[in-house]
Amino acid sequence: MSLPLADFILYPFAVINHNYLSWISKVQVNHPAVLRRAQQVQARRTVKKEWQAAWLLKAVTFIDLTTLSGDDTSSNVQRLCYKAKYPIREDLLKALNMHDKDITTAAVCVYPARVCDAVRALKAAGCNIPVASVATGFPAGQTHLKTRLEEIRLAVEDGATEIDVVINRSLVLTGQWEALYDEIRQFRKACGEAHLKTILATGELGSLTNVYKASMIAMMAGSDFIKTSTGKETVNATFPVAIVMLRAIRDFFWKTGNKIGFKPAGGIRSAKDALAWLSLIKEELGDEWLKPELFRIGASTLLSDIERQIYHHVTGRYAAYHDLPMS
Amino acid sequence: MAAATRTAPRAREIFTTLEYGPAPESHACALAWLDTQDRHLGHYVNGKWLKPERRNSVPCQDPITGENLASCLQAQAEDVAAAVEAARTALENWSTLPGARRAQHLTRLAKMIQKHQRLLWTLESLVTGRAVREVRDRDVPLAQQLLQYHAVQAHTQEEALAGWEPMGVIGLIVPPTFSFLEMMWRICPALAVGCTVVVLVPPASPAPLLLAQLAGELGSFPGILNMISGPTSLGPVLASQPGVQKVAFCGAVEEGRTLRRTLAGQGLELSLALGAESLLLLTEAADVDSAVEGVVDATWSDRSQGGLRLLIQESVWDETMTRLQARMGRLRVGRGLDGAVDMGARGAAARDLAQRYVHEAQSQGAQVFQAGDVPSDSPFYPPTLISDLPPASPCAQTEVPWPLVVASPFRTAKEALAVANGTPRGGSASVWSERLGQALELGYRLRMGIVWINAHGLRDPAVPTGGCKESGSSWHGGPDGLYEYLRPSGTPARQPSLSENLNYDTFGLAVPSTLPAGPETGPSSAPPYGLFVGGRFQAPGARSSRPIQDSHGNLHGYVAEGGAKDIRGAVEAAHQAAPGWVGQSPGARAALLGALAAALERRESALAARLERHGVELSVRRLRAWGARAQAQGHTLQVAELRGPVLRLREPLGVLAIVCPDEWPLLAFVSLLAPALAHGNTVVLVPSGTCPIPALEVCQDVATLLPAGLVNVVTGDRDHLTRCLALHQDVQALWYFGSVQGSQFVEWASAGNLKPVWVNRGLPRAWDQDAEGAGPELGLRAAQTKALWLPMGD
Repeated sequence: MSLPLADFILYPFAVINHNYLSWISKVQVNHPAVLRRAQQVQARRTVKKEWQAAWLLKAVTFIDLTTLSGDDTSSNVQRLCYKAKYPIREDLLKALNMHDKDITTAAVCVYPARVCDAVRALKAAGCNIPVASVATGFPAGQTHLKTRLEEIRLAVEDGATEIDVVINRSLVLTGQWEALYDEIRQFRKACGEAHLKTILATGELGSLTNVYKASMIAMMAGSDFIKTSTGKETVNATFPVAIVMLRAIRDFFWKTGNKIGFKPAGGIRSAKDALAWLSLIKEELGDEWLKPELFRIGASTLLSDIERQIYHHVTGRYAAYHDLPMS
Repeated sequence: MAAATRTAPRAREIFTTLEYGPAPESHACALAWLDTQDRHLGHYVNGKWLKPERRNSVPCQDPITGENLASCLQAQAEDVAAAVEAARTALENWSTLPGARRAQHLTRLAKMIQKHQRLLWTLESLVTGRAVREVRDRDVPLAQQLLQYHAVQAHTQEEALAGWEPMGVIGLIVPPTFSFLEMMWRICPALAVGCTVVVLVPPASPAPLLLAQLAGELGSFPGILNMISGPTSLGPVLASQPGVQKVAFCGAVEEGRTLRRTLAGQGLELSLALGAESLLLLTEAADVDSAVEGVVDATWSDRSQGGLRLLIQESVWDETMTRLQARMGRLRVGRGLDGAVDMGARGAAARDLAQRYVHEAQSQGAQVFQAGDVPSDSPFYPPTLISDLPPASPCAQTEVPWPLVVASPFRTAKEALAVANGTPRGGSASVWSERLGQALELGYRLRMGIVWINAHGLRDPAVPTGGCKESGSSWHGGPDGLYEYLRPSGTPARQPSLSENLNYDTFGLAVPSTLPAGPETGPSSAPPYGLFVGGRFQAPGARSSRPIQDSHGNLHGYVAEGGAKDIRGAVEAAHQAAPGWVGQSPGARAALLGALAAALERRESALAARLERHGVELSVRRLRAWGARAQAQGHTLQVAELRGPVLRLREPLGVLAIVCPDEWPLLAFVSLLAPALAHGNTVVLVPSGTCPIPALEVCQDVATLLPAGLVNVVTGDRDHLTRCLALHQDVQALWYFGSVQGSQFVEWASAGNLKPVWVNRGLPRAWDQDAEGAGPELGLRAAQTKALWLPMGD
């Protein structure tokens, strides 16, 4: 496509080349075709043996280890942080000759009120795993813009270096793309140095075409990552949605040269799922996206299943519940 | 506990590169099965292995390693005869069973396949080199669905297909590069309706033999499915066996043509499914990324046998090519039995074919792009994209082989249609457009057997699959697939009517001179003189006429002596009238047929003077009946795994040539004309030779009532006119009711454009009986099916 390159991140929406807006309005995503692709992509690649073990360990380094519950307290956040630092039993890593690779999860993800706990715990564990905080009225986003922005600033002040914001779904459903762009731009500013991950809550956007458009707007407004869902909607990270978002990321890269990251979240529980996600990224975007700077998996129970699979790979036995430390 | 030492030396490295590793699928069970046959495969006939002595055998090799897996016996004529004999014996019992019993048997076979599916898919993938994923996830489930669907059809047969009976023993010939699924598409309907089958499988293809063994091990009805392994050249031997009523062939176009010529006059039905090229039409309103996946589905996922012609709208050409090339880079080629490859290998022949095509295209100025993760050793061929191939180059006309995609641009939808319809191929196509109106316009107007909207390569047992033009007009799946193996009850079985000494070069070539033949004694009102072409009576090009005598030898009058030029003119006129007639609603067509019936009624007294009254009355009724029947055409199919409908359209054949029988000069003429017109065809007719005048009289009404060129009637020497019509490349179908020799010639000559033909082989037909004169068979033959897939979702 011959649209001019523009560094729109620095400009308000009105200044953005109108080519982009007219182009976004023309985009059509064919739902049944994407569903078929989603089915295929899971069946066409598989990794076995050492490849599987290595891929699983890599998957660990993509995990945003998450706890987002009403009953979170400092003790379970602390336990989570230790698990983030030591995600796989040391002897298993040794057996794979991977003990010196410093395998940790990519980040720890908590509610804003728990950011301090997480930062403290990670400091105590002696590591520099970043702390991510959800913000902007998570998960519904139905609060005043002013408080949503304030939430971001406070989380950053507390030491969160990654902010997972939710977008205002009503702006998407009513087609107010400029307003959506302006809001995310304000989130971006409020984040300052912190990374901005924009949660599209795709289960509530109505159509895949809207998912594509919202992804584009979020990237244009300066998100470092786009993220599928909060984990609190009825429909979470699904392959069809991911395919559309990944295609948007690729299109954005082809047009601007900027690589934007992708984070599926919600519903990814098994090691098998994790492998499918990795191969999806590899197929749709390529190897250069397979690093924690550009790919994260938001999950809480996934890690223990991966550890169980690694255990099986190393020992040839299936682990009992008590064989692996809880998180 | 301490971790034991099942260490992974490479894990560190893979952790950094994140590459794919080998994901081999064990083929131990396939080898074990081959061992049960001592690595020596024969034929499977009458529920037993047949391993005759003193036969040649060919090795069955792993296409990737070249390792010898087994040796396969090559059949000789006796073996074929034995198989046909088994099928004939089994037929007696099988065809008379209640449908419910056959349904039960097919269901049992489906369960048998389910129980041994791993063996089936590993064997198929091992031997053919196709990606195991495709065989396992698509072919094997589809094979079971086919059996289940056709079991249901067998169950309702007595009710739904009353008036039809199974043809008998069916000979099936399949090409070397095929999957066992292609065979299943054909044997399921044949078995369901009560036929028995002899399959000539290419040498060294064990999967069909395994299937036959599974069917045989069900115990009951052993002889219904027999497999003979041998070269395609045995096809005519199979066809010539007494008892074989129909031969179904799928394979290359030229082989099909040859077979058509060889089997002319042998008295059996031949259905052809030829060529494997597909077409993908990508408009600017498409979801381009999804369309690119469509291209992958069509050629680079081991699903289809052939290549793809890709038409891209100019405005999205660059974007599409970029995406396509990026996508190609991620394709993986490798051993078929690896769980993570997109494409396997297809053996040396397929690879050489692709290579030759690419070299030739390059030498004609085309750009060739190849990509993908392809092992460097020999049996593999990379996914290939060819562009800038000059449309006039010889390469652009030939069929695109696997795994090639030939891309060319178009400017408008109209141009795309002209390009797509401008090839002799009429198999399958997909249209990619998010604009509903445009997609439907293209879908309806593509001359193809199957059209998918925003998808490619979907199949379902309930949806008829077939083609038109040189792709052959045979169908499998859905109701159309059943009729392929049925004939109207009471149709006489095959009679050998071959005249060896029929000279195809001279048949009907010379027209005997016509001379004055004494005084005319016809009725005072002389019928119009001339050929009825383009809506009016015209003098024949030859400027001569032929005398018509009545049964007592009295000269009745003269009719024009038509020739090759008149046929040409008539076909042209019919083509010009076609778009207008196709565009008419069935209701409007029925109204015009009704008007013609009324006019015929007014003429009744004049006509009845020469014919029996009964014939006029019946003719009037036929015109009205077909007008009414044409209203109910086509329907919507529901498909299990698809959201959205599939439309089964009944489309006109185009220009239909009809050579009417000598008997029943008016009734047969009208009985053939009415269904043809009702289904939207335009026609060129040759009326009764002995009594052409009633047909010409009807034309006087046609001239005033129907659009010009819709009906054209050419009188003259029947053999000569038949020759002209049968050899005419732009006649889309031909019905012939005449002599044995004429029938044989028509069958032989139809190989030119592979037009569907219907011949009577010299047998009379009871035109005054509704079953033969106005039965559903005429309606079936008067139109062709198209399946239009419309997936939905938002």
